[in-house]
Amino acid sequence: MSAENLLLRVRDLDVRFRVDRKSEPFRAVKGISFDIPPHSTVALVGESGSGKSVTAMSILGLLPENAIVEPRSEVVYGGRDVLKAPLAAMQEIRGKEISVIFQEPMTSLNPVFTVGDQIGEVLRLHMGMGARQAQARALELLAEVGIPDPRLRVNSYPHEMSGGQQQRVMIAMAIACEPKLLIADEPTTALDVTIQKQILDLMAGLQQRHHMSVLFITHDLGVVGEIADRVVVMQDGEIREQGPVREIFEKPKDPYTKALLACRPRLDRRPRRLPVIDDFIRGEGAAGTAERTRGTSAADPIILEVRNLDKTFFLKEGLFGRRAIPAVKDVSFRLPKGKTLGLVGESGSGKTTVGLTLMRLHEATGGEVLFEGRDLLRLSEKEMMAYRRRIQIVFQNPYASLNPRFTIGQILVEPMRIHGIGSDGRERTEMALHLLRRVGLPEASFHKYPHEFSGGQRQRIAIARCLTMKPDVLICDESVSALDVSVQAQVLNLLQDLQDEYGLSYIFISHDLAVVKYVSDRVMVMNEGRIVEMADSDEIYHNPREEYTRRLIAAIPRGLQRARETQP
Amino acid sequence: MTAYVIRRVWQMIPTIFGVILLIFVLFNWVGGDPAQILAGKISNPQQIENIRHQLGVDRPYWYQLLVFVKQVFTFDFGRSWSTNELVSHILITRVGPTLTIMVPVLIITTSLAVLFAVMVAYVRGSLTDRMIMIVCTVAMSVSFLVYIIVFQWLFGFVLGWFPVQGWSESVLKNLGYYAPLPIMLAVFVGLAPELRLYRSFFLDEIHQDYVRTARAKGVSERKVMLKHVMRNALIPILTNVGINLPGVFVGSFLLEVFFSIPGLGREVVTAVNRSDFPVIKAATVYLAVITMVVNLLVDVLYKFVDPRVQLK
Amino acid sequence: MSAILGNASAAAVRDSPGLWALAWRRLLQDRVGMVCLVIVAAYLAMMVASYTGLVAGDWSRERGVSYANPSFLAGEVNLEAKALEQRKAAAKAPPVDLSDVDPLAPRYKEWAERAAKIAVHEVKRSQTLPFGGDKWGRDVLLKTVKGSEVSIFVGLSSALLATLIGTVLGALAGYWGGRVNDLLEWFYNIFTSIPYILLILAFAAVATATGKFGKGIVPIVLVLSLTGWTGIYRLMRAEYIKHCNREYVKAAQAIGASNTSRMFHHILPNVSHVALVQLSQYTVGFIKAEVILSFLGFGVPVDMVSWGTMLAEAQNELVIGKWWQLVAAGASMAVLVTAFSLLTDSLRDALDPKLR
Repeated sequence: MSAENLLLRVRDLDVRFRVDRKSEPFRAVKGISFDIPPHSTVALVGESGSGKSVTAMSILGLLPENAIVEPRSEVVYGGRDVLKAPLAAMQEIRGKEISVIFQEPMTSLNPVFTVGDQIGEVLRLHMGMGARQAQARALELLAEVGIPDPRLRVNSYPHEMSGGQQQRVMIAMAIACEPKLLIADEPTTALDVTIQKQILDLMAGLQQRHHMSVLFITHDLGVVGEIADRVVVMQDGEIREQGPVREIFEKPKDPYTKALLACRPRLDRRPRRLPVIDDFIRGEGAAGTAERTRGTSAADPIILEVRNLDKTFFLKEGLFGRRAIPAVKDVSFRLPKGKTLGLVGESGSGKTTVGLTLMRLHEATGGEVLFEGRDLLRLSEKEMMAYRRRIQIVFQNPYASLNPRFTIGQILVEPMRIHGIGSDGRERTEMALHLLRRVGLPEASFHKYPHEFSGGQRQRIAIARCLTMKPDVLICDESVSALDVSVQAQVLNLLQDLQDEYGLSYIFISHDLAVVKYVSDRVMVMNEGRIVEMADSDEIYHNPREEYTRRLIAAIPRGLQRARETQP
Repeated sequence: MTAYVIRRVWQMIPTIFGVILLIFVLFNWVGGDPAQILAGKISNPQQIENIRHQLGVDRPYWYQLLVFVKQVFTFDFGRSWSTNELVSHILITRVGPTLTIMVPVLIITTSLAVLFAVMVAYVRGSLTDRMIMIVCTVAMSVSFLVYIIVFQWLFGFVLGWFPVQGWSESVLKNLGYYAPLPIMLAVFVGLAPELRLYRSFFLDEIHQDYVRTARAKGVSERKVMLKHVMRNALIPILTNVGINLPGVFVGSFLLEVFFSIPGLGREVVTAVNRSDFPVIKAATVYLAVITMVVNLLVDVLYKFVDPRVQLK
Repeated sequence: MSAILGNASAAAVRDSPGLWALAWRRLLQDRVGMVCLVIVAAYLAMMVASYTGLVAGDWSRERGVSYANPSFLAGEVNLEAKALEQRKAAAKAPPVDLSDVDPLAPRYKEWAERAAKIAVHEVKRSQTLPFGGDKWGRDVLLKTVKGSEVSIFVGLSSALLATLIGTVLGALAGYWGGRVNDLLEWFYNIFTSIPYILLILAFAAVATATGKFGKGIVPIVLVLSLTGWTGIYRLMRAEYIKHCNREYVKAAQAIGASNTSRMFHHILPNVSHVALVQLSQYTVGFIKAEVILSFLGFGVPVDMVSWGTMLAEAQNELVIGKWWQLVAAGASMAVLVTAFSLLTDSLRDALDPKLR
């Protein structure tokens, strides 16, 4: 690739952040170099903390005020180093030759101006259009990005639109001046899987039509495989590997890249254990190919049965009225002992509400939950106490599910104290330490506070907390969704080990279909509060019967799949 | 929109009754029999008896409450215990002078505070910014009393530019001659806390994602501040003005006392000094109602300022 | 086993600070905050010393001449004191001889001589005092110290009481919601519909007219706290609502923790820092309010001195050129309030640092 052909060159980018007066600045990007050719899509891939977003923001000088860009860094565009260019020159380039779209469209759009106004702003600024002309062009752009009813929508405010539509508006704003490079910072991470597919298709089409390059930042290798020509893999502020997508996916050289490619649950195979990064760094390569079979049969003993579960939320409205929002409608299922029931759906499908209602953290409006012959929904609070320890829940957000003011020891001992497990403090401490070891944490954690642990470690503590009560059923409510892919693999392995050892039954709630398929015996698909389809996991992925299920499965990014399909 | 207004008015009713109840409990129950207080003011024992009878002091509490409620709704609180002036007359005539001072103060303080806050926010983090913030903090620590005493001494006594006392019947003469010194004083003192507050609003907005988007579009820093940030910061600014608005009717009682302005604030202070309960009760209840109405108007105004607001 | 635990715990405790320890460390690094902390602590020490009578115990003694000059202005002419002396001297002068009209006249001389023989300890009044004297010759410096005791004590106790009321009510409203919340919101709306100044004046009116609120400084403390709790109620209610929706509280419910346990054992430690910052802000506000109320005569009783009463006296003194009471009270109050305000900011930053 000769230098003249390159659209953008990044050389030795070194970005640090001033944290406070005394400490050393934090090194976010440690001197990286890569290129962006014209008319191509380059994916910048990494987990949280890898420095990929910081890199993208540096290109246009959009870093926060406490950022320091070291002088040796260079970003060459149009023959000059834009890092050293004066602000006025940068402002000429921004929005016109290089544009950005961000991860959270709701907060990235100005809430008090109309959509048409905001798109028009960039047209008036860079193309010198008058108000009327800008409005007309904005209408055309809205149509091009697939917003229905553009005439109506052009005068809407951002909060009146859905997440997917907001992102389309951001895209319209970004391509309005026909930029040469579009930087997309995790644009689909906050969107549902079906919407994600639509946005990715839209972006691919636009790239073709407008002859742009795209710098696509993501943590999802599946997406990379689908849309990118070149990929740059980052970890901890450094580039681990970069090159054409096919090459990297088929013959990865760096252990981290290999790990990233391998530890994502696959749709075609189900290894006994997911490989984790440590395996690759130690040079052990892919974990054994022993497979695990999952599925249910009619003869399985049932531990929990839910019949016609209903949950409606009531909001006060109008002068005296109430508005009913049905979240869960007539849901029935059975959980076989020692198995995992996966509950999958997009946001708003009601899957989380099902979990919370089973635990009586919300009060159901109808239905029965039968456990050991008793309907849990009808029990008094006192009677319920005896059953609380039998069904436990691990929440989604590891940063919010542990009390920041309690030590880990206090968090683990409290449930034992409440339920009278262990005869005295010493015994309880012993049991807590034993559980800490079991979930793979050092004993010294006992006296530490949650803020000293990472997301994955906190989830393990949350799991340990549940285990103190020796439950029969564990509800995992999006428990791995907030974790990086490599950490996710570790936690999934832990959950499976515990199931093997203790015979736990799981209800695994998630929006991530690949994970659900990997970990579940039976899968339930929910949409708008109802169960759309329920079948054994292999069955449902290979022979989906309902239209919605088919759409959901079709939307899974297949990038990795395609890459792997070429492997022997 | 009409449904919203009706609903809000409906919701005001329990609050108004609550206020009436509170004032009643405070003055009639805790305050008790006013005979002793009246004895010091009114020489005629028959008059004292009349007042006590009117209030229903020797009747059960529910009767007294009814009397009070009737007073509120008929706008008739009888006469002041000290000056024998009609309470309703007192209230109506005193509001004018108070507003003559407070309305200009509100307008000038808010405009200057917004102007300075934008300027300070633009140079955030710089030495100028920090110096101004320190000056504001120190300025806010000096008691209002000290300012009044010093200003009166400086501008009235030493320089002789303005009178320290007095009021006239003509609005223009008031605005031109008697009001400027108190207005200047109030603006001077009120500017520091407002400036600090509005600066924090602007800084909160500057760190929002949509500002980053605006910069990414190539919008200049000046335009980012004056168009994007300002428009959003207006929302909490409006909230703040709305909170301060009812205070305009009460006025600054210290200013009115020091400058002998016949306003509502001074009237209430005098009433407290003389234990003139009817005046205090009336002023409190009606100002509570005004506050609720002003809050409703501000909430309706929100709809035009913040498109996210849904009036239900 | 215990040995392992012992070692682990010893090492861990050293490394593992809780919120308060972390906040203290951050505060130590904040130079401005530490200076303010020292200043506030000095004022508090002065308050305790004054309360126990160690200093300023005899503040009300008239030690100096009327409007005594401060020591650094010793040479200045003190017209008022001179006038007072002249009046007194005139009173001592022998009376005009009225013998032909007044039948008792011949006896006056005899009585005067007898009176002069009785030893009268006349207090030697000094011409200057360290920071001047007020109209009655009381030492302004001592008054300032005593006044600080009253003002700070009133400010602190009102703030504590208001914070207590607001926190408890806010916690109840935020945690329970429903009817409890509706009732408390109604209560809150009543108190906030009445403009704050009016509310205070109404309470003050009843307090001063009847003695029903107590004696001494109790009325003003009650007036300030019973009217000022609304701010922290709003804050705590919002905090409790926010935390009730956090997953760690749901987790506590899932493991079977009782309502009381959730409200006080789980949530309260997470919101107590908000209450602390608010307490600090309240103290500043109530000190300022007490000064104004005492100035108007609705604050501390007349036999006590506070910065407010001093400013009330200073009001008329400035025109005759006697500025020391104004400066003493105004400046000492300004220094305390500035230090306290900046300390509040530093506290807030130490407890809840935002990376700006």
